[in-house]
Amino acid sequence: MHNDQRNEIELRSVTLGYPGKRVFSDLNLSIRPGRLTAFCGPNGCGKSTALRAMRALLPADAGLVLLRDTPITDLPVRALAREIAMLTQSPTAPGELSVEQLVTLGRYAHRRAFTSAAGSDRTAVTNALRETNLADMADRPIGTLSGGQLQRVWIAMVLAQASPVILLDEPTNHLDIAHALEVLALVRRLGAQEGKTVVVVLHDLNLAARFADDIVFFRGGEVAGSGPVEEVFRQELIQDVFGIECIVRQEEVSQRPFCVPIAACPGRRDRLVQD
Amino acid sequence: MRAASPVYFSTPVASRIMVLALCVSVVCLLGLAGVALGSSGMPLNRVVSAILGMGERSDGIIIWSLRMPRLLMAGLSGVALALAGFILQRATRNELASPAVLGIVDGAALGVMCFLFMFSNESNALVVSIMWQPLAAALGGIFFASVVIILAVRTEAPPLRTILYGVALGALAKAGVTLFLVDGPVHRASQAAMWLAGSVYQARWADVEVMAMVLVILVPLTFLFSRRMDQLQLDEISAQASGLPVRSTQLMLFALAAFLTAAAVSFAGAIGFVGLMAPHVARLILPGRAGTQMLAAALVGGAMVMAADIVVRILFAPLEVPAGAVTAVIGAPYFLFILIRAGRVHA
Repeated sequence: MHNDQRNEIELRSVTLGYPGKRVFSDLNLSIRPGRLTAFCGPNGCGKSTALRAMRALLPADAGLVLLRDTPITDLPVRALAREIAMLTQSPTAPGELSVEQLVTLGRYAHRRAFTSAAGSDRTAVTNALRETNLADMADRPIGTLSGGQLQRVWIAMVLAQASPVILLDEPTNHLDIAHALEVLALVRRLGAQEGKTVVVVLHDLNLAARFADDIVFFRGGEVAGSGPVEEVFRQELIQDVFGIECIVRQEEVSQRPFCVPIAACPGRRDRLVQD
Repeated sequence: MRAASPVYFSTPVASRIMVLALCVSVVCLLGLAGVALGSSGMPLNRVVSAILGMGERSDGIIIWSLRMPRLLMAGLSGVALALAGFILQRATRNELASPAVLGIVDGAALGVMCFLFMFSNESNALVVSIMWQPLAAALGGIFFASVVIILAVRTEAPPLRTILYGVALGALAKAGVTLFLVDGPVHRASQAAMWLAGSVYQARWADVEVMAMVLVILVPLTFLFSRRMDQLQLDEISAQASGLPVRSTQLMLFALAAFLTAAAVSFAGAIGFVGLMAPHVARLILPGRAGTQMLAAALVGGAMVMAADIVVRILFAPLEVPAGAVTAVIGAPYFLFILIRAGRVHA
């Protein structure tokens, strides 16, 4: 769909942070098109901050954030929303909204003013509900759903936005393992089907190794390593990034690596903090 | 695709229309009661023939020059306050928000007091047109609302703290109003006190016309924002990510709410809690999209103030008790109730 040589999203020497707290001083990062990239790292390492910068929700203090070589600050809010959708870490909406109403909110950037939902909006919403297995719950108020169902609704809303790039901030938070697997398999399948570029912040290393094409490891406001899973999912790097003792093995069926954590490693931790 | 559509998109249009029709008929009934009841009751057949201009001349005068402007002002100010409350609750995603709670009402009152004292001559006659009074109220309301909003944004205040800012700023404005009252001529002060409590009994046709004109401009503007208000049901980050410029939308909505409140306050005084309760009732009877819910809120708000004014006329005649007293008697305990509930949720 896109030229494979080009980066979908690129951060060039970006300085980022919040008032009184700088998170990144010189962040360089590129996301490849049509791939599922996982952001991993310990708490407070800047994963979510980097993700927000990529969606222009947090302005870069210096440097450039590029979407296919265009600075995202050049794009109007609605145009950017048609390019990049994002599911935030803990989205909220009134419980009385129906599933269908919430998913339709994802169409905002496509809808023309003062018109009711157009055919293309209805098609997108219907498809998003079907993809996420929510077709028979369309009229249920979201307040009556379970955590796993609700997360699927939010993902359906993001899908309805029909953007080539999707950013997901810890979509498996608060989900049990079955629902987490289900959500990630869905993201994986949809991404592959439609050639979408997907970036997911994930806490669980093994979920990242299982579902991602590329991994970016963050450590204390720096990129500690990034690249295809098979290249960067290495014992030494993971031990370093998380300050733990661990073993990395390969799972035989999927040929994917996995990590067995052994123990926290205070020495490594201290070195991290000093950094 | 088409075949599957009806399942998801069949909004219960019929039931929505039914609910709205019910609201309209309640407003109509209250309207009839409003012109029929008063210090001298009037049977309905005389009311109807007077409205149609076929009744006795005295009936016509009572209805057309005394009761009608009062009734219309009650209805219109209720509409304005309800819409303002609705906008604020959507813009802040806070069910506790209302024009009074965010300090807009007191700010508007202070604006009007400033206006009255700056543009009156020695004999207490206004030296400029009364048409400017709503603008003065709007300026006062917008000023205090902006201070509350800036404070809330700067300190990233959660809903309950935002309310506290509003209460504090409102108290400040109220203190200013009191100073003006104490400092001003006695008869003007008593007039102002009555007006501040929220009364429509002095309403004249000229006031009704200005109020109606203001609403003719503001109400369509409000409805232009209904999709944006729907989008604001999402948390701010999700709304922004979906393509809504959240900050600028909120600012425009605050300005709209301030103007609506100011219009109501400048003519009918501080009729409290309508802006809080009417949107809640509307959400209960018509959950879902902002557009229809807003219509319902406007109708409910109009009905509330009309009903309150009828109650004070029946219960306290010949005394003129402000309608705001009735809405406050019902509204204040309700506000306490949702405050307690909100406190539990946040705990």
